Amino acid sequence: MNECQTCRDGMIEALYGELAPAGKAAFERHLDACPECRTEYAALGETLKLMDKRERVDPGPGFWNGYWDRLSRRMLWEKTEEGRRPSLAARISRVFSGLPRWAYQTAGAAALLIVGILIGSRLIGPSGPAPAGTVAAVSVPAQSGAVVQAGNFVERSKVLLLGLVNYDPATEDAYALDLGRKKAVSRGLATEAAAIRKGLNEPGQRRLRELVANLEVIMMQIANLESGQDVDGIELIKQGVDRGGIFLKIDLDRMARDARGGSRPASPAGAASPVKKSQA
Amino acid sequence: MDENAIIEGMARGDQRAFHELVERFKKKVYYLALDMAGNPVDAEDISQEVFLKVYRSFATFRKGAKLSSWLYRITYNASIDHLRRKGAAPEAVADELIESSIGSDAGLPRRGAADPGAALESSQLQDRIARALEKVSPQEKAVFLLRHYDDLMLKDIASCLGLSIGSVKSYLFRAVHKLQKELGTTALISKAETSHE
Repeated sequence: MNECQTCRDGMIEALYGELAPAGKAAFERHLDACPECRTEYAALGETLKLMDKRERVDPGPGFWNGYWDRLSRRMLWEKTEEGRRPSLAARISRVFSGLPRWAYQTAGAAALLIVGILIGSRLIGPSGPAPAGTVAAVSVPAQSGAVVQAGNFVERSKVLLLGLVNYDPATEDAYALDLGRKKAVSRGLATEAAAIRKGLNEPGQRRLRELVANLEVIMMQIANLESGQDVDGIELIKQGVDRGGIFLKIDLDRMARDARGGSRPASPAGAASPVKKSQA
Repeated sequence: MDENAIIEGMARGDQRAFHELVERFKKKVYYLALDMAGNPVDAEDISQEVFLKVYRSFATFRKGAKLSSWLYRITYNASIDHLRRKGAAPEAVADELIESSIGSDAGLPRRGAADPGAALESSQLQDRIARALEKVSPQEKAVFLLRHYDDLMLKDIASCLGLSIGSVKSYLFRAVHKLQKELGTTALISKAETSHE
């Protein structure tokens, strides 16, 4: 390796004061003797001086003061998302959702046949009628996967909506709102709502279906808000939520599901009983 | 709360320790992410991902290691992943950076308000620097940023990024050379040298 190459190899360390003392004297000697290396070294030093003048844009105190709150909210969302992982029933139903119609018909007929044989064997067979406990267990209507999914969707939409309606542009900065994230989550919820609605086709599920449809529209409105603060758009959504009595409908739905003994999605820590500021 | 107390608290799952960690390192993490990703929205997203990862996988933190080195490494990896996912063309990213620095008063020097000429000059310089940084690869950029602005020693950068010292030196040399070429400092120096001689 020639001297110039050795010198070049040491330039970066020399510029940042990290050149080992052992090599420093030889490095400086070569610079004194070699105009090419001296020029190169000076040019690199000049570049670093120029780079010292670089300024990073400070997002401001509003951003930094609200950083922890926004991070906490994201953690809350991620926890909610984890809790939303599809249940065994949902996974099974997803597997079966791709089957052709005739497969369901055949399976339905087979199930009816089996039930018929079982009933027949109980009534006619030597063991007699089934024990009361067994009959009672069968007669309690379990909530369908669609209802559980819808309940989960409603709860998550409520948390998001509360964040939006409680936002006051007069006293809070745009960072506290974290609109970008809300828009992204709303988009996901709106897509989810369309699929959930299709599953709610029983006569007793009309109200829940309507609530999901209302929330779907609101989620789409949030997803379509302008980037930045979009105070007017948020105000319109707030008015729509108020006019439609959305929070009342959500609470009524939760009460109805609780009364039916349906499983309520676990509220994430910190969002156990969120309230609208005006109701607090 | 000193760094050891934070580490011990985190190992116990103490929420206050995590809060302290975030408060202490949020700026370093955010700014590295901002320099790497090039726009504030992505930078905040990346920085949050970093802290979420720290929170979830603190068990993987090696005892005796430096917390800041670990955070830099996670930030670097998260930024590289982000750039890969986005398939971001460096030009587009840098344009956002330039726009954000020109559009905001926050990064401009205070004297600019009283002296429009100086403000313009400063703004043009920032523009040049940002464009020069566009030409540097993400790896070279990370090494340069950590050495030049975060003042990490070369061996610490090697440890942060999981590289050999030789690679760090090489990335840094290439980065500074590219910046030199883009900023035209060679010409300036050459002229000065010629006139001096």
